[in-house]
Amino acid sequence: MPFELVPPGTHIDFIGKRRVTAAISVALLFAGAIAVPINGVKLGIDFQGGTEMQVLFDDQVNVDEGVIRSVVRACGIADPSVVRYGEAAGREFLIRFQVGAVASATGPSCALTPEQEEALERAKLSGGGGGDEGEKGETIDKLTYVLGNEIGSLQVQRVEFVGPRVGSELRADGLKSLLVACILILIYIAFRFSTRFAPGAIIALLHDIGITAGIFVILGMEFDLRVLAALLAILGYSLNDTIIIYDRIRENMALRTKVDLVDVLNQSINQTLARTVLTSGTTMAVVLALWILGGEVIRPFAIAMAIGIVVGTYSSVFIAAPTLLLLERRFGGAPAPAAAAGIGAGAGPGAGATTDAAFTVRHDAPPREDRPNKPKRNKKKRR
Amino acid sequence: MSLRWRIIWVAATVLLFGYYAIANYASEETRLESPLIPDSSLRLGLDLRGGIHWVIGVKLGAAEEHELSFLKSLLVEELERRNVVVGKIDVEDEKLQIETFTEDARAAVRDWIGDTDQILEVGSDPNLLMFELSDLRRQQVREQGMDQVIEVLRRRIDDPMKGIPDSVVTRQGDDRVLVQIPGGSVDRARAREMLRVTGFLEFKIVLDIAQTEELLRDRFPDGELPDDTTIAFERDRETNRVLTAYLVGKEADLTGDYLTDARPGFDNQQRPQVDFTFNPAGGELFQALTEENIGSQLAIILDDRVYSAPTIQSRISTRGTITGRFTMDEASDLSVILRAGSLSVPVVIEEERTVGPALGADSIRHGVRAMIVGLVVIVLFTSFYYRLSGVYACLALALNLLLLIGVMSMFEATLTLPGLAGMVLTVGMAVDANVIIFERIREELRARKTPRAAISTGFSKAYWTIMDANITTLGTALVLYNYGTGPIKGFAVTLSIGVVTSVFAALVITRLMFAIYPGNRHIESLSI
Repeated sequence: MPFELVPPGTHIDFIGKRRVTAAISVALLFAGAIAVPINGVKLGIDFQGGTEMQVLFDDQVNVDEGVIRSVVRACGIADPSVVRYGEAAGREFLIRFQVGAVASATGPSCALTPEQEEALERAKLSGGGGGDEGEKGETIDKLTYVLGNEIGSLQVQRVEFVGPRVGSELRADGLKSLLVACILILIYIAFRFSTRFAPGAIIALLHDIGITAGIFVILGMEFDLRVLAALLAILGYSLNDTIIIYDRIRENMALRTKVDLVDVLNQSINQTLARTVLTSGTTMAVVLALWILGGEVIRPFAIAMAIGIVVGTYSSVFIAAPTLLLLERRFGGAPAPAAAAGIGAGAGPGAGATTDAAFTVRHDAPPREDRPNKPKRNKKKRR
Repeated sequence: MSLRWRIIWVAATVLLFGYYAIANYASEETRLESPLIPDSSLRLGLDLRGGIHWVIGVKLGAAEEHELSFLKSLLVEELERRNVVVGKIDVEDEKLQIETFTEDARAAVRDWIGDTDQILEVGSDPNLLMFELSDLRRQQVREQGMDQVIEVLRRRIDDPMKGIPDSVVTRQGDDRVLVQIPGGSVDRARAREMLRVTGFLEFKIVLDIAQTEELLRDRFPDGELPDDTTIAFERDRETNRVLTAYLVGKEADLTGDYLTDARPGFDNQQRPQVDFTFNPAGGELFQALTEENIGSQLAIILDDRVYSAPTIQSRISTRGTITGRFTMDEASDLSVILRAGSLSVPVVIEEERTVGPALGADSIRHGVRAMIVGLVVIVLFTSFYYRLSGVYACLALALNLLLLIGVMSMFEATLTLPGLAGMVLTVGMAVDANVIIFERIREELRARKTPRAAISTGFSKAYWTIMDANITTLGTALVLYNYGTGPIKGFAVTLSIGVVTSVFAALVITRLMFAIYPGNRHIESLSI
């Protein structure tokens, strides 16, 4: 007897709760939208430019954020952000400042030894000031020296610097890539599904991206390249569950033409529920492993992925399917035609025709196979 | 295709890529030596092995202004020759600005400008003529500036002889250079020294010449060089083989500081040559030097390396030419060398991602730990939930990882930290395909199909669902690849390859396992 997560014959009325779930989604989207002016959209240095240094002080060094902050300020850097980082029992810090924050890197408590001065001088890059486009890299070296002089020996674990020009390029390209990915998926959906199904999948997709991004804004988390990578991955992944359910709806509609659409939707969701939960579950398991064990650097990626997976799974069941119902009731009009293949018929005759053709080949004439669902309802259950 | 052939085909694929994956354990030397072990291997990104990743922005506007200044000096000479009086001549904002007071002066300037065919008039103020480089010329100047910067950086950083091992200097777009220096042992300040883009250019009179150092040393008792002399080498640019050894003085006879311009040109028979210009002070020094040494060779040395050693044929002061049997390319290469040692094109660091080796190793450890835990959770769950079929899925998952690493090794893909995350994600997503198939098979079994029919239907029904799911993921991964920089690109690469190997693992490998057992046997129940 196989172990079943969702016992066969489960019948949960998912569609019946569509008003509640729609309200939840709208509320979440609104909360995200409202959080934008309140919290502001926090951009990481990837997108707004700036410097980030991850430093690890040696064991004996006694140090806290305040000390570091005052040293960094003394070096003429305005508004540095200093936070504890990682697991190294409080001796690892992340120092951050913005591109324009470096006024003049001289100050009384910002003294260097002659050798350090000389090293800096040697490494001085020729030509005019960096300013608008980039920097010469002196600030970071100087700060490293000064932190070592004033506080105690340290190791620089990581330096990330993004100049304003690169930052704004990454920002623009990042948005563009999200847009391009959306459009590509739209084209694929339009090609793969009939005009009847496509809007639901698209709405679910936008819903997932919107809510995931919204939650990031609400939690005050930063958007950077890692999060963007996660958002793009979610875009591709969250469609999976929707596809599973839609495929089944399509199949069931072809079989049972006279039954109420609500029943078909509910039945389809219930039939595929185990799949929906399990596929998301396995992916969630590894994402959680990444979140907990993958280390500090990869964590933002894992968090965004985790949120995206949950939202994506939810939207497949509670958004994508009910949208189909909504559109069907409002625009579909005609009851599903008796011909089994006529799934796509309804709205948009032109676009529907091509997808129907493809669909007919795929599902109605599987190679060497019988139509599997036909005998299903006639025979008794095995157990 | 018969079952036997399917087994052979799949086994061959798995073995091939498995071989590539496992070959990563061999050290690089062993790989290169052994004819049996493939040379290509997985590369670790700088965020995992530690190192400096710099995107250097080259301020090509300065190169344009330099070109305009050169034209300006020619124009000044020309106007003097013609006795034309103009006001101030300036180069500003990448424009040549000439203050003129009379129509004649304007005509003279325009006349000369027209002849050069390099600049275009812009602006409409009658008293202030403004010119910009023509598009074609600007393009040339910018390209030349990039060549010059890359030439110097290459020689300093990724030169096989003097550079830093495994470092890479590549051009990125129109005005950027990507510099990647692996290994955290490189001090950042020291590495930054290498970005100082002006090379150290010296001119030295050649005292003696031979094909190799040994031959040259043989000419002196005990191989001891005379006082205050040293040997400089000319090397083949591709192979670094020593072409010629020159005995030269230790001190430079003249340095590149005095050089103001160098460019390829043609003599009156249209043979390529290199024209160069010294500033007045340099001109005086050069005049004295050439006067004393007519008939000797003068070595042109950039960063301790001889690039050319033309024979001095006459006294030269501020302006001279280097002639020889140059091709056009050689002439322009030599002028790049001369310029690299004299004219600085300012650079800035536009982006930096430096990771210390400790953090890199730490990231690998974390990533691998997450992967192992993820794998264990999934293997336990899948084998418990789907029993024998679950074991199939786990086997397929293991082979999938092997394929993924094998394919990446074969194409020498770079594994970055986000790439490692992508690999972990692949582990989770690869099982999805199996879940979809297995759930479908269970359903068919509930519908009282025979196990054989259920398996067959399960796979064919799940086929398009799996395809759809993976095609969309592949699509977004490709968009990400197109967009991404450095580490993020690594994520896109791993994810894309992972999607392909996952589909292969689920639809081909798992399916084959079912074909082997139960295959055609009539079994009562299926372990699923």
